Amino acid sequence: MTAVRVALVGGLLSFRGLFSWLHPAIFVPTMVVPPLFQVLFFAYLGRAAELESDSFYVVGNSIQLAALPGLFAVSQAINGERKSQTLAPLLASPASRVALFLGRSLPVMAIGLGVSFASFGFGSAVLGVEVDAGVLPPLLATMTVTAFSCTALGIAHAAVGLRVREMAVFSNLVFAVLLVFCGVNVPLDDLPGWMGTVAQGLPVTHTVEAGRELLAGASLADVGGLLVTELAIGAAYLVLGLALLRYYERVARRRATLDLV
Amino acid sequence: MSPPSRTLGRVNVVEAVDLHRTYRVTTGTIRRRSHDVEAVRGVSFSIREGELFGLLGPNGAGKTTTIKMLITLLIPTSGSAHVLGYDVVRDAARVREQVGYVFGGDKGLYERLSALDNLRYFAELYGVEPRRQRARIDELLGLVGLRGREHERVEGYSRGMRQRLHLARGLIHDPPVLFLDEPTIGVDPVGARELRALIASLTKAGKTVLLTTHYMFEADSLCDRIAVITDGAIVAQGTPQQLKAGVEQGGVVEVEVFGIDEAQVRRIEALPGVLAVTVEEQELKQLLIVQTAPGTELMHVILAQLDGASVGRISQREPTLEDAYVQLVTA
Amino acid sequence: MTRVVRVVAFGFLIHFKHLTRNPFDVMVTTIWPLVYASLAYFMFRAGSPPESLLIASIGATVMGIWSVTTVGAADAIQRQRWAGVLEVLVAAPTPFWTVLLPITIASSAIGIYSLASTLLWGRFLFGIPLELAQPIWFLVSIPPTIVSIGLLGFVMASVVVRFRAGWAVGNMFEYPVWIVTGLLIPVALLPAWAEPVSWALAPTWGMRALSDAAFSGGSPLFDIGMCVLLSAVYTLVGAVLLGRFLQSARRRATLSLT
Repeated sequence: MTAVRVALVGGLLSFRGLFSWLHPAIFVPTMVVPPLFQVLFFAYLGRAAELESDSFYVVGNSIQLAALPGLFAVSQAINGERKSQTLAPLLASPASRVALFLGRSLPVMAIGLGVSFASFGFGSAVLGVEVDAGVLPPLLATMTVTAFSCTALGIAHAAVGLRVREMAVFSNLVFAVLLVFCGVNVPLDDLPGWMGTVAQGLPVTHTVEAGRELLAGASLADVGGLLVTELAIGAAYLVLGLALLRYYERVARRRATLDLV
Repeated sequence: MSPPSRTLGRVNVVEAVDLHRTYRVTTGTIRRRSHDVEAVRGVSFSIREGELFGLLGPNGAGKTTTIKMLITLLIPTSGSAHVLGYDVVRDAARVREQVGYVFGGDKGLYERLSALDNLRYFAELYGVEPRRQRARIDELLGLVGLRGREHERVEGYSRGMRQRLHLARGLIHDPPVLFLDEPTIGVDPVGARELRALIASLTKAGKTVLLTTHYMFEADSLCDRIAVITDGAIVAQGTPQQLKAGVEQGGVVEVEVFGIDEAQVRRIEALPGVLAVTVEEQELKQLLIVQTAPGTELMHVILAQLDGASVGRISQREPTLEDAYVQLVTA
Repeated sequence: MTRVVRVVAFGFLIHFKHLTRNPFDVMVTTIWPLVYASLAYFMFRAGSPPESLLIASIGATVMGIWSVTTVGAADAIQRQRWAGVLEVLVAAPTPFWTVLLPITIASSAIGIYSLASTLLWGRFLFGIPLELAQPIWFLVSIPPTIVSIGLLGFVMASVVVRFRAGWAVGNMFEYPVWIVTGLLIPVALLPAWAEPVSWALAPTWGMRALSDAAFSGGSPLFDIGMCVLLSAVYTLVGAVLLGRFLQSARRRATLSLT
């Protein structure tokens, strides 16, 4: 019960911290407009290349876009905590770290889901992609799972990024990798073999496949396996990220350096 | 042979008349509330040619806002100001040609470029003639003591060096009027002393300088005249001597106390004949400074109030500019 | 007049130097064009490729130039603010538009690094031969492309000076402009209204000039001429807007606040 409370309270509190960044003047140009147009851009590019259908790109990109807040919002949050020097105490707290971080990730996941769904809706409407209403609930479930796994990746990459000098470049790189490797715009079969292999260990790959199958008529049960795989991948990144952060915190305490964590 | 004296010109180089500046402040993220803050409320003063004029006041008093209006970065909400006869609103371009602006702090320079590149760029922007640029830059580097280090990137400079580079930048186009906004803030004592010497030499060279500061001794030692500003309004103007004389010729009682509390301070403030009380926190003790009215002898009464607290050194002295300032500012 | 040219030219050199020394800027400006070029190569190869994939390289490069310009322009004012230098620049007797203009052109000139890296990337990782039909015209087309795109950035920066939170706006204009100006996507595929819009945007003409020089025997002279014309228009519009917004900033005291 405490873990749940910690998650909720921690999540709500961090939401206020996110507020400055959620300011419409910053939020709209970074989290609303670019996703909508990313979907359009690749759909048109797909038409130019005469590759696959509009639906292919709408599903692929809208699901991948959960990584936009997942990566950038999380790295901002963790960097922000580090700057205000609350990261180390946070990590050292006796509260269940997993619950705490999950709680703080809730707003980000919610935004990720929102971004995915909005860009899907926008893309389908503008490009005239036919979507059966019955597909929406399982699709939403798929997007929710992706929001979780991308946020988890966000935490892991932010942990690694603490050692990197320019965090923003690193986040850009990870986002780019997801865009290229995971079958979002290029079918996995048309990518070099090694990229497909790497993609299996990344979020987005399985849920994009699930999303496309759903639109092709599959049921939630059919894609269940893919969603479970995605959840497992997300969980792995979450554990990795937290372990890294905890490790840095220990090292920082031992060496009495505050600049690490 | 009598020492050379500086004769101050008769011309008013800077004239500020009833300057007002109001800011609109918005708070809150969802429910945005806005209200007006009057940062400068009717500031008037004039500076003569060759004068070193000080604007003295605590943080947030309106010093920086006043300066920004004079250098045309802000438009006054009401009132007017002229520099060398040019109106700061209507003839902004002309004012900018005649004015140099130097401010304190680490920012204000291109970090990844060398001092030389920075100066070259600003020389260009501030209209120094291409033929004269190299000579002028070299002259300034010598003046501020940065010759030999001009090829290093600014990011490696200490704060004192940055301040000197700021000064060089402000002087690049040889303006007759200089506005210095807290130029020695955060600089180490030795560096600050050198900077002050530099500033003093500027007026000897005939420039007119407006200096803002919250360092009392700086104002006292450098300025020909001082205006004390607090809460957006000038509360006193005059030479340092005049301001000190303005403090009622009582005395100042200083008592070292170990562990004074609020209640005791209140009681002392309430004593008849006490003009102002300040408590200065020093490492292990506090210094209680009590300004007393003329003709009073309050030492024993004050000490009686401190019953129970441990008392160290006690002294009585004449008021200084700092005391004048405190009295003016806390009135 | 010579003074203006001097200030702009010198300002460009100084800011280009300053921006080049920021590894972050240079990295981001070179990475994303590589990503888009790679995606385009994969997609075209899997689908139906055009005559030469070099067009994807060029398109991705111009995308990069636009990207660094739009983000850099919107950011230009903010960066000067963060560096504490904005006030010094505005307080200078030189008209502010001559100060701001070279900053945005310097931003787009950073895109030159992405041109080199994207072409090399395509050549060495994807085997796309670097065969240009008219190499001289290609080189000649580069400066007008960069300058005109930089000046479009100048218009953007002039508007942004008015709004404290305007720095994020640069992000918003990346995709839409890429789509409309036909960089990787042929304009023919877009709705009819897109074409006239594209004519008013410098990247359209820059792309055409570079493509003409790279592939066809045709002369890119008209396209270069359009770049020059648009440059003049942007300069005028930007200078007027800037004057107005700067006055507003002085009144509302939004110049130095970070």
